[in-house]
Amino acid sequence: MTSPLSFRSLRWLALPIVLVPLGWLLFTGLGRDPRLIPSPLIGKPLPAFSGTTLDGATFSSASLRGRPAVINFWASWCPPCVDEHPVLLATGAAHPDDLAMVGILYQDTADGARNFLVRYGQGRWPTVLDTSGRIAIDLGVTGPPETFFVDANGIVRARHVGPLTTDEMRAQLAALGLAP
Amino acid sequence: MRRLALPIAMAALLALAALVLVDALGPAASLTQDEQAAQIAGELRCPDCQSLSVAESQTAAAAAIRREITSLLESGQSPEQVRQHFVDRYGEWILVEPRSALVWLLPAAAVLLGTGLLAWWLARGRSVLTPTIEPASDRIRDRIREEVEKLDA
Repeated sequence: MTSPLSFRSLRWLALPIVLVPLGWLLFTGLGRDPRLIPSPLIGKPLPAFSGTTLDGATFSSASLRGRPAVINFWASWCPPCVDEHPVLLATGAAHPDDLAMVGILYQDTADGARNFLVRYGQGRWPTVLDTSGRIAIDLGVTGPPETFFVDANGIVRARHVGPLTTDEMRAQLAALGLAP
Repeated sequence: MRRLALPIAMAALLALAALVLVDALGPAASLTQDEQAAQIAGELRCPDCQSLSVAESQTAAAAAIRREITSLLESGQSPEQVRQHFVDRYGEWILVEPRSALVWLLPAAAVLLGTGLLAWWLARGRSVLTPTIEPASDRIRDRIREEVEKLDA
């Protein structure tokens, strides 16, 4: 008469065996950011784009080829963009020649963007006005700040959602083969 | 009347299934371009808000996507091509209803499994809980008598 007894004790074990991993799965899901979605562009060529810059010049993504590039979507109404701006300025200063940089204005006015740059500092890179929002759609942008890292061959290597810290920027640039 | 209940229920279920099938497989009503655009907008997730479709959202990004849908349809792309245009850029995430069959089949499979387990458990419980009562055998009778005598002693 030992088998029903051991079966009964096993039955009580079955409950935690099923519930504990399930609970853990659901609980860890709570802490994840629903915005962190892998970009389908990783490993693919950067979609071509062009537009007018804040200075009135014409910018084409073809000019990024030949060296690693940082493409940063930002807006003057976006507080995390203010936090991130010093990191971008430092990167621009540290890599004047071996890194291409371009800002793309996300759902913002040219005047708002100019005021932002006067207040927080103008980098050496241009900012493209994405008036129709098409560049943001073509790169699958979910909101500023969002940054794409592209290698010298024009292949998208990484996307960063949210403000970049100095360490994160350094790691991304190192992955593109740039020394700090 | 009782004997007819099961066949009638089965016939009603079959008729319902047939209706659902006809509705699902039948040719879709032809829509105007605006209706198509509105339908696609309802199927795409607004990228800079949560739990809203592009059709419902008031953000500038959602408005940009609505304009893009209209211009893609005007350029002669089919609704499926327009959907794929956004999936290629944002990933499957942009679709309000996921395409993966697993997402839809898994809950149904879980319900079936749960029902099966419950049925098995109930059937098993019944046989254990309602034992057939048989008169005690002579051996048991002797044993009981022995034990009672031991207690009295």
